[in-house]
Amino acid sequence: MYRDLRYEFPYVLSPSAQKPNWDYHAEVQAFSSRLKECFSPELLKTAFVNPCYIQSEQERRQALGVDSEMAALVLGDNIQLHRQGLEFTKSFLSDWCRASFPRLPSMGVVAIVAHLTSHPVVCLVARNLAIEDLTMSAQFPVPDEVLHSTFLAVIGALQASSGAERAGLFLRDFLVTQLVGKDLFEMWSVVNPMGLLVEELSKRNMALPEPRLTRSAGAGTVLPLYFVGLYSDKKLLAEAPGETVLAAEEEAARVALRKLYGYTENRRPCDFSAQQLKDVTPSTTMSSIS
Amino acid sequence: MSSFTKSAQQWATFARSWYLIDARMQPPGKIATMCAIRLQGKHKPIYHALSDVGDHVVVMNSRHIAFSGNKWEQKMYSSHTQYPGGFKQVTATQLHLKDPKAIVKLAVYGMLPRNLSRRTMMQRLHLFPEDDLPEDILLNLTEELPQPREIPRRLNEYSQEEREAFPTLWTP
Repeated sequence: MYRDLRYEFPYVLSPSAQKPNWDYHAEVQAFSSRLKECFSPELLKTAFVNPCYIQSEQERRQALGVDSEMAALVLGDNIQLHRQGLEFTKSFLSDWCRASFPRLPSMGVVAIVAHLTSHPVVCLVARNLAIEDLTMSAQFPVPDEVLHSTFLAVIGALQASSGAERAGLFLRDFLVTQLVGKDLFEMWSVVNPMGLLVEELSKRNMALPEPRLTRSAGAGTVLPLYFVGLYSDKKLLAEAPGETVLAAEEEAARVALRKLYGYTENRRPCDFSAQQLKDVTPSTTMSSIS
Repeated sequence: MSSFTKSAQQWATFARSWYLIDARMQPPGKIATMCAIRLQGKHKPIYHALSDVGDHVVVMNSRHIAFSGNKWEQKMYSSHTQYPGGFKQVTATQLHLKDPKAIVKLAVYGMLPRNLSRRTMMQRLHLFPEDDLPEDILLNLTEELPQPREIPRRLNEYSQEEREAFPTLWTP
């Protein structure tokens, strides 16, 4: 059977830069050609250098007693690129959200963008694109914040090298795809869905929602199920299940909000075809799918 | 189904339903197949024999079931008390008079799979001889299933107009 090395002898994770046959320049070139993007090499190398790395390198050189004039560290760090990348990412993602979900309010757009630029999502993407191996940072394993800023710096470098359109397509293909399978209210935490629903309906001049018990099963047992439907002016808005009548009513309010904002599970999928331009709405180009 | 939160969707999928069947003027075999399917959970796409996904079934008016043919006189129910000379055979009529729930119960028991889950499924079958159900059962019910057999009307249940409108043979 498979021998688990962790129990055989102590297995220590080490950065791939310290493993044999590591050629940094070749790896950086391979990174850009693997993603089929033309990065300018200096910008890309600068994007991977973090300020913590520069600090630790200077301290190490001082500790070794190397004269700071003789061996000056000629490396720029990625703070500027990180800021540019962050700004571009946020604006692109907000535009994309508004184009794909025109009925979603701005709070929802902000929540989706915040989720997509959050540490867990960005670090997952960065690790799987091998950015963690190329990052130059003080600590190993690379902390999430450093990895997050490196990824955004790479985006900034891409925008500076190939232009906003290519960078936008890159973000769409790698970051936006993390939305697959995600529910709206997993990303946007709404405390009072019924209140929000009442606001939305009054904005659209529809009657207030009336909850009605549609189905129930095992009401006297310890595991009951209730289906509550919300009716606006005698027409069904949404129906949803729950453990108690109140939980089912809240769930029905959430389903009604998803339907109003157009973020249901059976909505038209996002368009990821090759010729898609970032500022054209996906819904109008569905006919041009190859 | 559409756009529920994941936890709500899971709760609804695995919840146990309570079905009601009215056995008045119905053949007990047909009632028993409907019960057996729902007690095993075979009416659900998430069915697995080991998953315990069966529902509760409540059968009312089991005193008023209707066997077809001469089964009331000819169908025999046998049992043995395990003592010598203890083999008993009773007709369906005698058994029904002694216990109005026994015929449906034995029919369902015979249609369930012969494994250890059978006893659990039988515990989820609730039989009532008449249509007065206790309140806690009434609270739990989800839906009533349609009866398998269409009950034919007696002659005195047809109105005068329907009787006159019925086609007759021409007699000269």
